[in-house]
Amino acid sequence: MTAQPAPVAETGYPWPIETARLDNGLRVVVSEDHTAPVVGVNLWYDVGSRHEPAGQTGFAHLFEHLMFEGSAHVAKTEHMRYVQGAGGNLNATTNPDRTNYFETLPAEHLELALWLEADRMGGLVPALTQETLDNQREVVKNERRQRYDNVPYGDAWLRLLPLLYPPGHPYHHATIGSMEDLNAASLETFQAFHAQYYAPNNAVLTVAGDVTPAEVFALAEKYFGAIEAVHDIPAAPHGHLSGPATAPASETVVGNVPAPRVYLSHRTHPFGTAGYDAMTVLATVLGSGRGSRLYQRLADGARIAQPDYIGSYGVDLAHAPAPLIVTATAKDGVDIETLTAGVAEVLDSMAAEPVTDAELDRAKALLTTSWWRQVSTVAGRADTLSRYATQFGDPGAAAYRLPQWLAVTAGDIADAARTLNPESRVTLTYLPEGDDK
Amino acid sequence: MTLVATRPEPGDARPYTFPGIQRLSVAGGEVVAAHMPGQLLATATLLLDAGAAYETIGREGTAAVLAKSLEEGTATRDSTAYALALEGLGAELSASVDWEAFRTGVSVPVGLLPRAVALLAEATRTPRLDPADVERVRDDEATALRMDWAQPGPQADAALRVSLFEPGERYGRPLHGDPESMAAVTVEDVTAFHEAYLKRPGVLLVAGDLDKLDLRELGEAAFAGTSGAPLPAEGPLDVPVSPARRLILLDRPGSVQSTLRLGHRAPERGHPDYVPITLAATVLGGAFTSRLNHLIREVKGYTYGIRADFAMSRRFGRFGVSSSVQTAVTAPALTDTVGEITRTQQHGVTEEELTVARTWRAGSLSVDMQTPGSIAGALATLVIHGLPDDYYATLRRQLLEATAEQVSAAAAEHLHPEGLTIVVEGDAASIREELVAAKLGELL
Repeated sequence: MTAQPAPVAETGYPWPIETARLDNGLRVVVSEDHTAPVVGVNLWYDVGSRHEPAGQTGFAHLFEHLMFEGSAHVAKTEHMRYVQGAGGNLNATTNPDRTNYFETLPAEHLELALWLEADRMGGLVPALTQETLDNQREVVKNERRQRYDNVPYGDAWLRLLPLLYPPGHPYHHATIGSMEDLNAASLETFQAFHAQYYAPNNAVLTVAGDVTPAEVFALAEKYFGAIEAVHDIPAAPHGHLSGPATAPASETVVGNVPAPRVYLSHRTHPFGTAGYDAMTVLATVLGSGRGSRLYQRLADGARIAQPDYIGSYGVDLAHAPAPLIVTATAKDGVDIETLTAGVAEVLDSMAAEPVTDAELDRAKALLTTSWWRQVSTVAGRADTLSRYATQFGDPGAAAYRLPQWLAVTAGDIADAARTLNPESRVTLTYLPEGDDK
Repeated sequence: MTLVATRPEPGDARPYTFPGIQRLSVAGGEVVAAHMPGQLLATATLLLDAGAAYETIGREGTAAVLAKSLEEGTATRDSTAYALALEGLGAELSASVDWEAFRTGVSVPVGLLPRAVALLAEATRTPRLDPADVERVRDDEATALRMDWAQPGPQADAALRVSLFEPGERYGRPLHGDPESMAAVTVEDVTAFHEAYLKRPGVLLVAGDLDKLDLRELGEAAFAGTSGAPLPAEGPLDVPVSPARRLILLDRPGSVQSTLRLGHRAPERGHPDYVPITLAATVLGGAFTSRLNHLIREVKGYTYGIRADFAMSRRFGRFGVSSSVQTAVTAPALTDTVGEITRTQQHGVTEEELTVARTWRAGSLSVDMQTPGSIAGALATLVIHGLPDDYYATLRRQLLEATAEQVSAAAAEHLHPEGLTIVVEGDAASIREELVAAKLGELL
């Protein structure tokens, strides 16, 4: 049978986009949609863990926590109370590239969100105390314990990064940082961090939903207009790498894990490039869904991998070649050598065996649904526009991603696959205690 | 530089609306649909009265194995052909089980929904259930559960649950079973469960742009070849509460955190106090600014997060608190937690706290319900609990109108700090003495 053709997408962003720039450099993006009485407010600051110098790992993320602890006109804990008290939800995340802050509220509370965001952009330093820093340092250390240290395989990402990127590279260390560096952090360092990076000219503000552009531009001027630009913001250490890794790297972890697991990884191309688009489609063909090669060959065929723990995905980083990660976990009685050889064989098949039309159509259909799901909420839309404005200088570029995925050919995938050779491969292996021979 | 010093007032509130609901009886079943004009994606969920409550004791996990086996081929195509057909539409089958329902669902661009629903029905109604496949899926599920149970949490959850119910009660066992009960599931268990519960018509929930969908066509596909009447509904259970606190310590040697679970029984979802109970839990441990999160995370720095809620299903409910705290502060964190529950039970909530809880819960009805998937979930709540089409507008009004007296009364009646079971999963050698000394409850 023939697979169904993926629906034709002329654009991945069929909503209006309007932009403005305040005199202080703040870029403001508005996407109007009156379908639901809600508004998504999103700020991307162009600062992430890639900006952190040696000895200050984890600072960008700890700083994200401090942004919820009060500012010039907002007392400690009031930020959350005001947003939830308005019926909204909120959060923030930090990754190697950037830090984002976002909230979704009933539309009549737009002004509250802009006031809160402006107050912590322009007025955080006077409110920042040693007590707050000490408390949030403990919260972050608990976050590290809960998400990475106390969970089987939880530290895989922390171990992959230094294997993928050389010392000194901005992606070499993980965003969560080290306990030692966090312990050494002083209040003055954080005050300086804010003064340096939390500037209107280093941020994009996006509002999506039940609003008009004129209203948002006027409110942005009212609340953010007085915040002064910061000149000479230092760039992150450059992420240039002269091509793929030239030697394989591997690490084996013996620990409290229930079954052998392997991660194979390569650094590929930066997010947003044609090469990375090909890699995104390749990853979907390879490891997304029951129709994927990994599932069909290792879970269903050879039956050496647990079906729920198969995956291949890119990590969408834009400032250096981004990682592709392929993983599988052994079924009972399957040893790590068999599993690793099996995963490597399927990965290598992406170059050796041309991708069929049915495989390609399946992958594109899945990517199409996942794209529309991502932009189905005002929060998802606002975050997407902030990303493209920050990383590519144009929120409208968001419209191209889906069509560019759909334009990827079998030949593109074969070209991409040929770069994933064993000579540049990172292998991270987990073995249960007692399995190490 | 001058920042605006005063907090702005809200603008005019937009009127609250839930998508218009259409109901249609067709082919022996019912379609319940919500109209979301302009939505590019659409969701369809087949809601069947086939929850885990029907599983045999000792074979918990039967429905989960069945859910996973649905995609191992159908009467007309093998598993590979099925995966390619479904994923070729951009759809993946979500199959899930809770206490009261078995759900299979798909989300796709709206024009593809009819074909996706036909495939959804094919897998749900006519799975191949080849014995060798079912056994393999069962083994994989048992392995996956062992993987899951290797993480902190599931064992503590199970220890709490079993303490809240009588021996032999299905609800005292984990919803999806444990690694042993999953491994004990037989092919006959799975085929019998399918035969008994998945061949009745059930309800098809649809959320999306109904101008582009033919509900009759979707219903006919979903209910083709089905038969049987709805099963009789059983009433709510009593709410027994232990006369004294109990403490259960599960050893997790070397753990850098202690996983905490505290809980007791509570009323069912249909209880008239549902709204004040929900608001009381929001003040205690639901919102970020809740009493528990404020004290344990923001003031003490013991944890990355802590939450309390009432999980309420059709026949029973349970009050629960969950958190992970660093090992060294296990006892003080528990003492503080029990202290906040007691304070809330004895002295109720303040108007200031309730203001946040009310508007947050009411606002969430708009903020959390933007997508076809979330609206389909809301429709399922209406069907499972027999609620009217205007329920969400009514709920919103009730949330906004609840008084501090009502919510404090609900906290006084439905919180039982003296009847809590406290489960600690952590490094017993480091914490046992201190836990006993803290006199939190009798160590079992």
